[in-house]
Amino acid sequence: MGETASLLVEVFFHTIGFWWVIIPTIFLGLIVGGIPGFSAANTIIILMPLTLAMDVETGIVFMVTLYCAARMGAGIPAILVNIPGTAGAAATPLDGYPMAKAGKGQQALSISFVASCIGGLLTTLIALATMPLLARVGFYMHSVEMIVVMLFGISLIASIAAQDMVKGLIAGFLGLMIGSIGTDVVYATPRGTMGFLELYDGVPLIPALVGLFAVSEAFLIIEKRVIISEDAEPKSPNWHDTFEGVQIALSRWWHIVWTSLIGLVIGVIPGAGASIASFVAYQQSRTYSKTPEKYGTGHPEGLIAPESANNGVTSGTLVPLLVLGIPGGATAAIMLVVMQFHGVGFGPSLFQRQPEVGYGMFMAMAVAYLFMFFTILPLSRYMSHVTTVPTIYLAPLIISFTLVGGFVPREYMFDMYLALAFGVLGYIARRTGYHVAAILIGVILGPLLERYFLLALKKSGGDITVLFSSTLGNILWIALAISLLLPVWFERRRKRQATEVPAE
Amino acid sequence: MTRLDRRAFLRTTAAAGAVTLAAPGIARAAGYPERNINVIIPTREGGGADRNFRAFAEVWKTKLGTDFEPGFFPGASGRVGYEVYMGKNEPDAYSLIFGNMGPEVLNWAMQAPESFSVEDYFYFGRVDVDPGCLFVGAESKLQTMDDIVAAGKERVLNVGTSRMAHPASIGLLALGEVTGAQFNLIPLSGGKNTVAGAVTGEVDFSVLTSGTVIAAGDAVKTLLVFGENRVGDGLDNAPSMNEVYGTDLPEMLSSRAFAIHKKAADDYPDRFQILQDSFKATFEDPALLDAYVELGGTPEYLSYGGVEECAAFMQAMLELGAKYKPLLTGA
Amino acid sequence: MKRQLGGELVIPILAIVFTLYYFSTIWNSPWTAQVSAFMVGGILLLVCGIFILRCIVWLGRGEGSLGVGNLFSMDDIRTGRIGLLATTVGFCFLIEPLGFTLATFLFLFASMVILAKGRRVPFILVLSALIAFAGWAVFIWAFDTRFPKGWFEVTMKALLSNG
Repeated sequence: MGETASLLVEVFFHTIGFWWVIIPTIFLGLIVGGIPGFSAANTIIILMPLTLAMDVETGIVFMVTLYCAARMGAGIPAILVNIPGTAGAAATPLDGYPMAKAGKGQQALSISFVASCIGGLLTTLIALATMPLLARVGFYMHSVEMIVVMLFGISLIASIAAQDMVKGLIAGFLGLMIGSIGTDVVYATPRGTMGFLELYDGVPLIPALVGLFAVSEAFLIIEKRVIISEDAEPKSPNWHDTFEGVQIALSRWWHIVWTSLIGLVIGVIPGAGASIASFVAYQQSRTYSKTPEKYGTGHPEGLIAPESANNGVTSGTLVPLLVLGIPGGATAAIMLVVMQFHGVGFGPSLFQRQPEVGYGMFMAMAVAYLFMFFTILPLSRYMSHVTTVPTIYLAPLIISFTLVGGFVPREYMFDMYLALAFGVLGYIARRTGYHVAAILIGVILGPLLERYFLLALKKSGGDITVLFSSTLGNILWIALAISLLLPVWFERRRKRQATEVPAE
Repeated sequence: MTRLDRRAFLRTTAAAGAVTLAAPGIARAAGYPERNINVIIPTREGGGADRNFRAFAEVWKTKLGTDFEPGFFPGASGRVGYEVYMGKNEPDAYSLIFGNMGPEVLNWAMQAPESFSVEDYFYFGRVDVDPGCLFVGAESKLQTMDDIVAAGKERVLNVGTSRMAHPASIGLLALGEVTGAQFNLIPLSGGKNTVAGAVTGEVDFSVLTSGTVIAAGDAVKTLLVFGENRVGDGLDNAPSMNEVYGTDLPEMLSSRAFAIHKKAADDYPDRFQILQDSFKATFEDPALLDAYVELGGTPEYLSYGGVEECAAFMQAMLELGAKYKPLLTGA
Repeated sequence: MKRQLGGELVIPILAIVFTLYYFSTIWNSPWTAQVSAFMVGGILLLVCGIFILRCIVWLGRGEGSLGVGNLFSMDDIRTGRIGLLATTVGFCFLIEPLGFTLATFLFLFASMVILAKGRRVPFILVLSALIAFAGWAVFIWAFDTRFPKGWFEVTMKALLSNG
């Protein structure tokens, strides 16, 4: 144990010596994370010659920093202009953007940065300490259990739909139906593709995301002069707002802790990713909140939950990669390729053969979060300026930027048209009182749910009782039932108390 | 920093390569090629095909005297790339497709799209052969083939595969036929998930292209190869299926090869000849092995194949596809 | 103004049409393709049906009308929204023939002029040129994405390779 500790300390100081890689990479990561369609994974691919030319240590530090910074960068446009650039940031605008509209863009950015950094740093350290244990999570979370996890996220539709249940459900199920476009996961039968080969693999997420959220929003904001509402007092950039955000986040430290843990646990499951984690964390946060009605209106906790969860995922995906040799997500898979190029052999024996690589990756992540905290936070005061740019310039910019972002991941013109089509759908939905967030949850989580559901059914030979065949699965079902019923019970109690008070 | 992007990098090295390594005379004699050759890759950028292509093109371009420009068109199990190649690219021998003969031909056999026919293009240059294999997670209770066959006679075993229409899936179905064990194929969408499924116990074991299995290191243990085990220890010295069970199954390969429009080969036989000759010459150059190893390929899998070898393999895939179609499509 | 049910019905009707179309594509498919789609689609048809029934009741009571005032209004022309939609659609279709940079420039210029109602044209001209150029630098020059190449991209490529 003492040996490990001294190795860790050594690796820590050694990693700090790479500041000259970390700091520029943080900025690169913020930029590519902020551009919709780009992500850490495709940036590493594009920069492959550069990455391969680095020695293995520099390469690790570079890739890990880029990964963390891109995750964080995706939150910035999500908050300021309602453009979530990746599926992992799709839950961020739910409360982040209303804050920005209310003139609290700076606070929102600070909250998101603090939640991301603390959530990321904390989960990195926990992952480091409990790696062998955490890696076992994947051995218990199979398709049956994942079905329930997905339902946690999807049940958000019901909460979002609370004011008008029928319209909310129409939006949510329309999203699920759109999400069912594409071949079925077992026999690859094309379904609902309208003859477009581009839809065989399902609706591509980024065009759906930017279309529903950002394009439709761009058509609405032109009614106003600037994004922030007129009654929000105009302010010049100041440190006060930044620190207020930091304070808001820190005072909710416990919230950061447990939502980032949700991210960590979901992150270690191979195949599950940031989009699931952020919606599940948001749903859980709302369920156990004393003020669930504030969610969606710019509630700090509604911003903390997805941001700390998706950074928890970042740490989580490294665990199966290092302990089992199986990458937990797309970025981890690319890292595997690069590391193999350098002769690092992954698998259970990695920590015996090359412990410095295993610890080095986590240490690089921890150090990257530390550096990020101090480099990004000061920037929030400048970034939030975006919300004061007149919409006559901002709206066309958002549209071009997002349509382009829709194109980038697959480089099909089709995806650009698709983003526009989703923009029109989102616009109609907003104007006529349907929640775009409900549609989006369906589009993102629907295909994942269907995948796990079909795998479970195929494994059991079509026996539906397989859904209740595992102990862990049944515990999760009960937890799901509780988290669906609890808000109802809370609501009743609150009403009862409210009626009792005047009676006294 | 962004200036160092990969394609720019490749372009620069291409230019440098063309200057330093004088192309052989055959290439220029016929006035072909006078511009770059487009290559459609029907899978994602950064994937296995991308790496193989880069390694191969780096050497081939010196033989042909021109550069290759890859275009990535992933989607629908490769079909998007083939549709683009067959539908939008001119059959003038200036555009090729770099596909995976095993799964992609099989996929065509399953879907039988009307938009293009497998008669209208043909593979002429096989780059590598990567046999499918059967493997278990390091912690699996099933540790030998005997364990698997015995368990498969007691209950239906769930077997992970990257997708139904894949040569490795056919290998498994053939194994079931010969041993009497019962298998239920579970498509886990992609190599990464298929390895993870076996390791975490989502499925009892998995079958997959062996390149991905080698990369998974000691997280998995290979028990059987649907073809020849060319890497020995890398696949835990697993024996071949034909050896153990006395079958005469063709190798169940993931096999990357360049293909060309049939019309292009008919209309421009001289150009096609240059392509074939320079392709073959590439295999004779030791630089190919270096490039292949450098980009992380398995050198044992490099294997030259011409028009005939490719046609024979394609035919075998179409026949097996027809035979197992009901099991693989649920129809 | 009465509740504009015409507008509110757009989404449910789209949903019904799409669901029925979707069902038609899986009618003869293996069960794996059908099971969850029939479930989800069935519920969607059900909730849409409930909503339509509710609308009929409201219409009967005279609480709503089939108007689409919540979807379209004179404001849409005044604020330039229709104009912006037109330029956006134009952008999508012109990008192939004109190339990425030129199309982006024209889109930004046209839509900003429409939204600004013809004010500050020189400023907008410079601004959209700068942004389009920055877009070219990031997407074409640095990341080499497969955006349609037009006159500008070809010229720049020639310039860069000579310089």
